[in-house]
Amino acid sequence: MERSDPTYDARLEAFEARIARGEKIEPGDWMPDEYREQLIRMISQHAHSEIVGMLPEGAWITRAPNLRRKKILLSKVQDEGGHGQYLYHAAETLGVTREEMLDDLLSGRAKYASVFNYPTLTWADNAIIGWFVDGAAIKNQTMLAQCSYGPYSRAMVRICAEEGFHMKQGKEMVIKYSQGTAKQREMIQDAVNRWWWPTLMMFGLPDDESHHSDTLMRWGVKVRSNDELRQEFVNEMVPEIHALGLTVPDPDLYYDEESGNWVYGEIDWDEFWRVVKGDGPCNAERMAARRQAHERGQWVRKAVAAYAEKKRSGALPELQE
Amino acid sequence: MSDTRPDHSRDTQWPRFEVFQQSREGAPFHNVGSVHAPDEEMALQNARDVFVRRPKTVRLWVVPARQIFTRTGEEVEDDPAWREEMVAEDVPPKQYHVFRKTSQRRSMNFVVHAGEVEAATPVQALEKAIERYGDETVYVWWIVPAAAVVASDEEEAESMFSPAHNKDFRMPTAYRTRTMMREVMQRGEAQQEQGQREKEQNEGVRNE
Repeated sequence: MERSDPTYDARLEAFEARIARGEKIEPGDWMPDEYREQLIRMISQHAHSEIVGMLPEGAWITRAPNLRRKKILLSKVQDEGGHGQYLYHAAETLGVTREEMLDDLLSGRAKYASVFNYPTLTWADNAIIGWFVDGAAIKNQTMLAQCSYGPYSRAMVRICAEEGFHMKQGKEMVIKYSQGTAKQREMIQDAVNRWWWPTLMMFGLPDDESHHSDTLMRWGVKVRSNDELRQEFVNEMVPEIHALGLTVPDPDLYYDEESGNWVYGEIDWDEFWRVVKGDGPCNAERMAARRQAHERGQWVRKAVAAYAEKKRSGALPELQE
Repeated sequence: MSDTRPDHSRDTQWPRFEVFQQSREGAPFHNVGSVHAPDEEMALQNARDVFVRRPKTVRLWVVPARQIFTRTGEEVEDDPAWREEMVAEDVPPKQYHVFRKTSQRRSMNFVVHAGEVEAATPVQALEKAIERYGDETVYVWWIVPAAAVVASDEEEAESMFSPAHNKDFRMPTAYRTRTMMREVMQRGEAQQEQGQREKEQNEGVRNE
């Protein structure tokens, strides 16, 4: 599959024609090395984001205000764990092992969504994470469900079906906060202020600085650009935020009649890079939590492996009914 | 960030099992994804945790991935030599399940059960499958030895699959956010109108 392969050009042409016809590329089909590498990069980062994404909200499970909210949050965090598994397995079909990917995450080499390196200071943050962060994730994931690589696309369709609940449970809480007491309205506004910009950064670098975009678009890995998705998100969110009597922490925000867009102010990309490179408010805490969870789960992995081995060797006594 | 690398030997990349789900009685099994597990029993448990957090499962199958013979439509076409294999004449026939992917529509499921064939080897099973189930474009073939399938225990079906039914808070339909938002907006408009009326009345009073 190297470029030195004399059939490479013909292969590439057939591959691109399949994608243009809307066909999915499946494990076993021919694909350019760069397609494989880009997908491994994207899918593994996405998987890591789901796994690390369990932490900011997971911390609040024991402090949920009532049983209903506790069940909802437990289920949501459990879903994120499941989503991580779908994605690690989709990446595995490209020739990388889950072990290698976990290794990359735990050693700090791998990237994950920088939004999860911000702290959850109050219960209202869980509301905003559901509405903003999951809402933004759904935009991106709905696009990726159309992706040309079959296993990634299927994982995304399954994830999107489940994320609807994540977004709506958050939005429900935001609406209730916004119609509540002065203290509650203050709490939710504070959460909006802290999560708005990190959420906009989730869509990635502006189109003119995003190096991967061109090839990814041509090969149907991404079908819409970062800026396009970000603008659509802003346009949907701003009127609803305003309707709830809340404000957007952007003094430059205005409605442009001509384009029909809510034009937002400049995103602080320096902050983005600082957080991506490890210097966000919670990077160290998140990695420490992941490593601890991995260490603490070691006896379980050992026990099930020992049990399976005993069963195989026939050393396990039959259970008496 | 720390550069301490985790100790590989302590990690366990267990074998991969493909997971097949049946969503209602009589429906064909379809592949939903895979799990890692040290044995079939754990594979079924993991499959339930990963793929049955919501309703719509009546039965699960797990199959060790290395026992599945797969060929994409492209592979079948590109390499005519795939059929050539030496088989001793006295190999007894075995049963194989045939799964295929025939659609490019948006879906969370992969290959779907098409039927069963008897053959001496997976390659021969695929040849038969193409004859019998190749009447439309097939993008992916999976040949699964029937003996390698481990099915969820019928007696445990209740405890495996029923809990998902009582968790309607996991469904987006359990939240009335659209209605709630509309009500907030209507209240906002009503307040504005009320304010406008009061303003006009006050101005009326002042003008008198």
